[in-house]
Amino acid sequence: MSESTHHDHDHDHPHAEISQSERPGFYDVMETAVRELLIGKKLFGADEIRHQIELLDSRTPALGAKVVARAWVDPAFKSRLLANGRAACEELGISFYDDTQLIVLENTEKVHNLIVCTLCSCYPRPVLGLPPDWYKLKPYRARAVSEPRAVLAEFGTHIPDDVEVRVSDSTAMVRFLVLPMRPNGTDGYDEKQLAALVTRDAMIGVIPANAPTGRTAR
Amino acid sequence: MQSSIAAGMVYALGEKPIFKPGDAIRILDRSPIGHYRVPLYLRGKAGKVDSVIEPVAVDNEEEGFGRNAGSRRHYYRVAVPMTEIWPDYEGSPRDGLYIEVFETWLEKIAD
Amino acid sequence: MTQTENLVKRLPNDIGGLPADPIQRIEHELEPWEKRCHALADVLDYHKIINTEEKRCGVEALGAEMVGKLGYYERWIVAFANILFRKGILTPTELALKTKEIEARWAEAHPDRHDDT
Repeated sequence: MSESTHHDHDHDHPHAEISQSERPGFYDVMETAVRELLIGKKLFGADEIRHQIELLDSRTPALGAKVVARAWVDPAFKSRLLANGRAACEELGISFYDDTQLIVLENTEKVHNLIVCTLCSCYPRPVLGLPPDWYKLKPYRARAVSEPRAVLAEFGTHIPDDVEVRVSDSTAMVRFLVLPMRPNGTDGYDEKQLAALVTRDAMIGVIPANAPTGRTAR
Repeated sequence: MQSSIAAGMVYALGEKPIFKPGDAIRILDRSPIGHYRVPLYLRGKAGKVDSVIEPVAVDNEEEGFGRNAGSRRHYYRVAVPMTEIWPDYEGSPRDGLYIEVFETWLEKIAD
Repeated sequence: MTQTENLVKRLPNDIGGLPADPIQRIEHELEPWEKRCHALADVLDYHKIINTEEKRCGVEALGAEMVGKLGYYERWIVAFANILFRKGILTPTELALKTKEIEARWAEAHPDRHDDT
């Protein structure tokens, strides 16, 4: 969606973004203005913003899926992951740039976990990337803590009554990642095949991990 | 229980957790305005300490005003039954709500 | 309890347990400015110019109407501006003048475009 413009203006402007064919909106301009003013006052450099964008682009649910797959195949890793989520992720090279801790919540035959942030949008960004809109909007945030089973049903997930639904509401510096149950029919799968079954929504806890292709989900 | 190596050692204020896993606690019922990190739906609710979060950390309600330093205390992962929170809870009586709460928001419930 | 007491005691973001609609599984690819805004938040936090809790506090302080009507990153950037004003790092006039400069820059680069409102 970029178009080239004539570049006869001053290249010291720290705004090397692709110019848009759409007039920038009110908030877009505000962001540019705040950023340029702060860079002008030398509070940080334009390169830091560019670098952080690259960092954000690199954090996707694929990272979390790899963590889950490793935990499924390596019981000792899983043990370390449940004891200290951040340290175990760091073993795999996943850095926690936002200074948060990570508690990994294991789904079992007895407990089904889901995560929410009622007050804002806390989310395990270092290992899952940015949250989807629905996670940040009122319906999910308001109802996950008061009617989690109805919320799960809206995602097509039904948990038996004898299984505890455990909702974790983030408020401080701990973030959560759900470790879904390993799907049946995946014996002998390697980590790559297993990771392919693990979606972002399964690591939020609203759905289970995907069943192997060709079979119906439980 | 102190080993003889650390006998006589004094902790910093707030450094030792007041609560331990399994303790019956109540989330306090005060009503701050302006800023808080304990949601209204949990004020005054009784629960149990699930785990002590380490290390000690700054009160996030103070951090909201740019105060990053000062006495660090513990956050606790607290478990509250859904039926304790919602009188008409529709779901399993086993269902639970877990949340991190700063030490200054909790009191022990007498056994 | 009066209605206004409720307004004061309940922060606009404190919505756990309130009645709400069915979940619509909305997602969208971040616009470039939104991604820049998120990166800005992270860089401000790294430098402790505006830490993450200050940002949350700033968004709350926008008040119920703005919190209800502005989008997610719109709330962030307005909150950042307010916090920077309060800390004496920027002034409203500085921001207003820079805004005009940026708008003029765009207009100059797109002389064929009419002024849309």
